[in-house]
Amino acid sequence: MSETITETETATESTTDSAQTTSGESQERLREEWTHYRFDGPPKLSVEDLNVWYGDDHALKDVSMDIPEKSVTALIGPSGCGKSTFLRCLNRMNDRINIANIEGSVELDGSEIYDPNTNLVELRKRVGMVFQAPNPFPKSIRDNISYGPRKHGDIETGLLARLLGRDDKDEEQEIVERSLKQAALWEEVSDRLDDNALGLSGGQQQRLCIARCLAVDPEVILMDEPASALDPIATSKIEDLIEELAEDYTVVVVTHNMQQAARISDQTAVFLTGGELVEYDDTDKIFENPESQRVEDYITGKFG
Amino acid sequence: MSEGYATEETFTTADADAYDRWLDTTIAVGILGFVLAMAAVGQVVTLTASGDALNGVFLTLSAVVTGAVGLTAGLAALNVVAVESRRVRGVGLGLLAATLLLTAVVYATGVQLVTLFGLVLLVDSVSLVGAGIASWTGSVDTQPNASAGILTGSVFALVGFGIGAAVGGAFLDGPLYLVAGLLGAALFGVGTIVPREDIGSTLPTAAVTAVFAAVILTGAIGPDWQWLPEGLSGGFSGVIVVPLFVLFGSLFTSWSAAKCRARFGARGRQYGAFLVIYLNAVMMVAVMVSIVFFVVSRGVTYAFHGVQIGALSLLVLLAPLLVLAINRARNPSGTSEWHSAARQSFRIAPVAAIGSLAVVLVGLIVTGETLDYAFEYTVLGDGREEVPIDTVAAITPETAVGAWVLAFPTLILAVYFFRNASSLRGVGTRSPTLERVQQAVPLVGTGLALATIAYVLVGTGFPVLVTVGTGLVVAGAAAAAGATLFALSALTSGPEGLLDNAQYVPVGLAGGVTLLAVTAFLEPTVTVSPGVGPIDIVPAVALLGVLVGAVVAVAAAVARNRGGDDRVFVSQALLGLSAVCGFLTILGLHAAFTGAPVDLGVATVANVGSFDWPFVMQSYVPLGIEPGGIYPAVIGTVWLVVGASTFAIPLGVGAAVFLTEYIEQGSFTAVVETATNALWSTPSVVFGLFGAALLIPRLGDQRSLLAGMLVLGFMLLPLVLITSREAIKSVPDEYRDASAALGVSRWETIRSVVLPAAMPGVITGVILGVGRIAGETAPLILVLGSTLNTPNAADVLGNFQLLSSAPFVFNGAVMESTAALPTGIWATIAAGVSGSQSRGWGTALVLLLVVLMLYSIGIVSRTYFRRKLNYE
Repeated sequence: MSETITETETATESTTDSAQTTSGESQERLREEWTHYRFDGPPKLSVEDLNVWYGDDHALKDVSMDIPEKSVTALIGPSGCGKSTFLRCLNRMNDRINIANIEGSVELDGSEIYDPNTNLVELRKRVGMVFQAPNPFPKSIRDNISYGPRKHGDIETGLLARLLGRDDKDEEQEIVERSLKQAALWEEVSDRLDDNALGLSGGQQQRLCIARCLAVDPEVILMDEPASALDPIATSKIEDLIEELAEDYTVVVVTHNMQQAARISDQTAVFLTGGELVEYDDTDKIFENPESQRVEDYITGKFG
Repeated sequence: MSEGYATEETFTTADADAYDRWLDTTIAVGILGFVLAMAAVGQVVTLTASGDALNGVFLTLSAVVTGAVGLTAGLAALNVVAVESRRVRGVGLGLLAATLLLTAVVYATGVQLVTLFGLVLLVDSVSLVGAGIASWTGSVDTQPNASAGILTGSVFALVGFGIGAAVGGAFLDGPLYLVAGLLGAALFGVGTIVPREDIGSTLPTAAVTAVFAAVILTGAIGPDWQWLPEGLSGGFSGVIVVPLFVLFGSLFTSWSAAKCRARFGARGRQYGAFLVIYLNAVMMVAVMVSIVFFVVSRGVTYAFHGVQIGALSLLVLLAPLLVLAINRARNPSGTSEWHSAARQSFRIAPVAAIGSLAVVLVGLIVTGETLDYAFEYTVLGDGREEVPIDTVAAITPETAVGAWVLAFPTLILAVYFFRNASSLRGVGTRSPTLERVQQAVPLVGTGLALATIAYVLVGTGFPVLVTVGTGLVVAGAAAAAGATLFALSALTSGPEGLLDNAQYVPVGLAGGVTLLAVTAFLEPTVTVSPGVGPIDIVPAVALLGVLVGAVVAVAAAVARNRGGDDRVFVSQALLGLSAVCGFLTILGLHAAFTGAPVDLGVATVANVGSFDWPFVMQSYVPLGIEPGGIYPAVIGTVWLVVGASTFAIPLGVGAAVFLTEYIEQGSFTAVVETATNALWSTPSVVFGLFGAALLIPRLGDQRSLLAGMLVLGFMLLPLVLITSREAIKSVPDEYRDASAALGVSRWETIRSVVLPAAMPGVITGVILGVGRIAGETAPLILVLGSTLNTPNAADVLGNFQLLSSAPFVFNGAVMESTAALPTGIWATIAAGVSGSQSRGWGTALVLLLVVLMLYSIGIVSRTYFRRKLNYE
């Protein structure tokens, strides 16, 4: 252990020096070292040299990281550091932005998602996403949940289905109930499933969005600052929920709130200005004893 | 709790009750005077009316007020509608008492209306003095300010000036009347501002009212009074001046009485202001209504000659309105702040209005009298001279209800109740019988439906088919009866039946309605209506269903009032009502399909006879004094709008989706946008020329309905495109993101998230566009042919032909020229084609009604989609 500490100190010094003196190569090597997180078992997601440009803006630079299965990975960093961009690359939501240009590779269970043959529908079913602001559809709670399964043809409802004897009302109810229970919302809404989802409180709406995402049975759940628009009580509910979800799902969560990252995540990746991934390690390690001076400054509040 | 927000109860003590009731009644008398004065200004009743004429007016007024107050009070007693405000109750009862009292006076003494006005003002004046003095001497606990205020003072000074100047002008010569006026102003101004508020805002009002009363009662200004100022060719007569005095007198009194009622101070001012604003709003509405009335009055005699409707039919048409009104009245009125009284009175107003009308209609049926309005209208005679013809519009005491008149409102209500009932899934136990019924109903229903289709295709060529069909109808009706009675069995299985067997109700009733509905459609295809003796089986089962539905609804309502599971019982009550309406719909359908009236003892459901509107429902009669109608033009306009919409709406919305969702915003979309905007502002006659030059040579080389539809469609297209684009753009991107993140394709997202959210905006565009094209004249002259001489309406539905070669479908009716309302107006009024001028005005009125109807369809559907978005 003592050796590691020594190494760290040396490394820190050399970084601070190199800020003035060049030696880009060693900086690069150090960064690779600090961002290489070792864990048992195969990675769920494996990102290799990912670069993203929005027009001329280089938003993400050479990011490589492996994300372990069934755990919570937090992405933290100051505004505009590229953490949300990174998250949106994991289910190819950035494809929806016309000016985005993406290079590099992202593998889900060993298969490349940026392969031209990738089935986007299948990918997004496996990698679900929860957004910063709660965005339920202007439909009933039930329809919000069953929207995904219905559109994927997993359940059929409606007059035609009923006439053909293929009415899956019971299955629909089952999915709705399971998803809402998983999202810890069932108790609060079980008696008003047919009410408009927009009538729920902000925290309930966000949990509904999580339930909607769970209804299509994803493997990975990406969350983009899921609690930033919520009050403290709703936030703590979402945090508890994230920890529970990690037992069955791989959760990647972007957050602005460092305490939140420390509370809920198993490992933390720190992005700093310019779209660089600076350090990625066990959460305890990052918050108690980071390798990089810049990360320490950021975490202790000296910068960012 | 601060004084301003104190509830009324805080200030209400038992000994103040008499004072409160007294002032409520004074306010009511003021309102009554105001309304009567407006009627006199509008010449609905003349000032010199007395005896029978005035008795009739007051009897109607009594019926209206009794119905309004009675229905509201009844619903309040049954706890259907909450009327918490003591003020609303007080004024309501005051209105009732004052109306009945005035009616009694009119009957007993036979006074003229003008004398009655004087008496009313005198009574008002005296009560105000009493109230003011009661407050001044401290017999009632009030919180008056030190003064009534400068503003009130100025108003009264102005009134004082007027009174002084008028009196001075009558007795003095020359400019001395100005001195008298100033004296009056000073007297009233000082009298208002100097004393405490309770005197300052009652005594001047009482004085003004007393002056008006004196002038009227002494006959100084009576109906015959004339004032002809120099320099004006006309003058003012007492016929207008007296009602104006009463109008202002009543307004002043109501205002003062309202102040007294709310114990002066801040609350008093607010209540007073509210009352004045309320009465002013009533006056505004009255003025607007009379403007419209004037505009349509030129055509109304012609358009409505010979209109007749049975009282019972009207009552049926009132039913959906009553449900709407009750719904509105049940809305919570917010907090118990004192001005919730205002909101409450607005909420219950519609229920009260329907109550008034219903009482009048029931009265007609019971007494067997006809409520008619006689008038005359002019038509063009043989020598092109105007010939007046006597006619009458009437509400007859007929107890026949038109089949469609019954079927449409009840269908709407049935769907409404059904949608509002929440699901009873998982409530109660599931018995084997329930399972069996649930399986049997769809089987039998599908079988009957298939049989119906088979009979449509095959026809009833062989006698054996008729026999089989008769059997099927009987079996279907029996099955429907069985299902309906099954619902009833939930009640007979003990006191807990409605809970334990909760699902019997939806399954049984819905099953019964569905099966009987299918049977009702099977009947006309088999062309039989089996029955025992004079009683047909389908209407008999429908009546049974009505009874069962009513019993279930009442039982559920009673169970709910005893306390219990609110959701279950409310749902069951709604389902019961839904079934009642559903079975009534089937009753109507049966009568419509078979053409045989259904005799229900007290009433009849008949195919024809309960409603007649000659101008709209008859065809054009080319020559002669018998005026005929504009039925072909009405139908032509409706088809034009329908055709243009079916052509333009899908195209416009589709283009909007493509331009907004699929292609990048850039120069191409900018060009399209400019082009659509330019197209929207293109003059309509240019569209007409385009149609005449380009379409007509390619469409059989004659002016036709189809060409009209297409040209109007082209006109509608840009507006639909523009508004749909805006609506789609305003759907938040979050919805699209959320849908994409679930792996849903773009088209699916548009179909199930974007378009539903954009629907209200799209419909708004369609409403605006349809309003424009329905009244479009110029292009129709060019492409439709503006013929008045079309004796027959375009029968589009009956003219579809299937061809063995391209284009496979042909419709002769759309390829022919036909009539439309706007071209009809143009032809009669501007071009002088046959028919009198009033015929043109009548057509214009009908066009207004058609456009209004299209608007209301659009607004209802927009509200539906908006509700679906907001409340679900």
